[in-house]
Amino acid sequence: MARAARARRSRRTLTTLLVLVLLSVTIITLDETGRASFLTSGMKSLASDIYSPLRTGVNSVLDPVGRFFAGAVNYGSLQQENQKLQNQIVALEHSRAADASASRQYRQLQRLLAIDKLPSVASIPAIPAEVTAQNVSDFMASISIDKGRDQGVAIGDPVVGPGGLVGEVVTATHSNATVRLLTDGKSKIGVSFGRQQEATLDGEGANRPLQIQYVPSTARVLRGELIVTSGLQGGGLPPGIPVARVTSVRSIVGAADKQVTARPLADLSGLSYVEVLQWTGSS
Amino acid sequence: MSGRMVLRTLAIVALTLLVQVTVILDVRVDGASPEIMFLLPIAAGIAAGPVEGAAVGFVAGLAADLLTATPLGISALVGTLVGFGVGAVSGGVVREVRGLPTLVALSASAVAVMLYAVLGAVLGESQFLHVDLGVVVAVISVTNAVLAGPAVRIMRWALAAPAERSPARGRP
Repeated sequence: MARAARARRSRRTLTTLLVLVLLSVTIITLDETGRASFLTSGMKSLASDIYSPLRTGVNSVLDPVGRFFAGAVNYGSLQQENQKLQNQIVALEHSRAADASASRQYRQLQRLLAIDKLPSVASIPAIPAEVTAQNVSDFMASISIDKGRDQGVAIGDPVVGPGGLVGEVVTATHSNATVRLLTDGKSKIGVSFGRQQEATLDGEGANRPLQIQYVPSTARVLRGELIVTSGLQGGGLPPGIPVARVTSVRSIVGAADKQVTARPLADLSGLSYVEVLQWTGSS
Repeated sequence: MSGRMVLRTLAIVALTLLVQVTVILDVRVDGASPEIMFLLPIAAGIAAGPVEGAAVGFVAGLAADLLTATPLGISALVGTLVGFGVGAVSGGVVREVRGLPTLVALSASAVAVMLYAVLGAVLGESQFLHVDLGVVVAVISVTNAVLAGPAVRIMRWALAAPAERSPARGRP
């Protein structure tokens, strides 16, 4: 009797596992093949629309609380008068830090405006956006921005930041979007440099140098050379946007291609504001 | 699972996800941030067994997948397998031995992260292998090991049958 009950329980346990695994595999398949993209992207859109305001609310509450606790931990043991003076110093330091942060944001905006004036970008309608989160997953170099489909952001739109190209939009919900950064391992863009040399710029993961692929061993590439988008690779990006600078060039005897690495012009780890270019391929 | 258990579990998953995308996301060690969504199936597996571990893993994984641009369902599959595995292996032993949940959380989190990276790469997400996997594994495993104790207690509360929570109520 007990053995039969144990066998029944064991069967039920395995059935549960099988059902959940099959359900997961079905969801993965539907998402990957795009057959039910309306459903999967709809679910993602709904989740994002629910969590975005919550995230903003929690962050705005936690910031002052964090500062309060930091002050309590650091100055709790001092005498009252000392405490008052110390708190004044802390307040001044916070104000200076805020000034530094504001001036950093100001510099970023100035560099963003400089990008706007480039002939290759000036004619394309742009949507300014604020960066709300950086690298939501450890497995993807990305940023989240506070503009989405309702403001005109579409999947595949190029995104520029202070200095140059930042990446492209990979998901867009009603009110926000995710941008895959240049450094992400899946990022591949068509670039040109020097005298109309074409190549592909590949991301190798966050905080790692970019790799320029398919540079013939006979090509002339110099360290510090500017790399811009070529407008090729399916026309996903407008030509002429500054992307990166060459940091190293290595020729290998017998190899058909040179090994060339580059660094993005935009500081991808400290982005505050970006612009989404509404590029349709013929803008 | 009773309706109340399901509601409690869903509330815990929703709250943990909110903590993950707000507080935890700002914690960075060498570029990697902790991932406490993997802790839920591990804690559920320890607290209640393989079925509950797998179910919580599926729900928590799916919820986590909804807020990232990575393919939907990978975390759900990993969560299901890890939750089930922890529940099946630990039996009732881990619950009784002090400190063992910490070790289980440490090793199961490492397995979960590696499984996630391999599954992602197999499904064409080449960027999953372009990360410092060692650092990511270390950060996630250590954080989850530290938080294992409270997480197991919370999941035990969520997944306990009404009679288990108040033994006096069932007595004549």
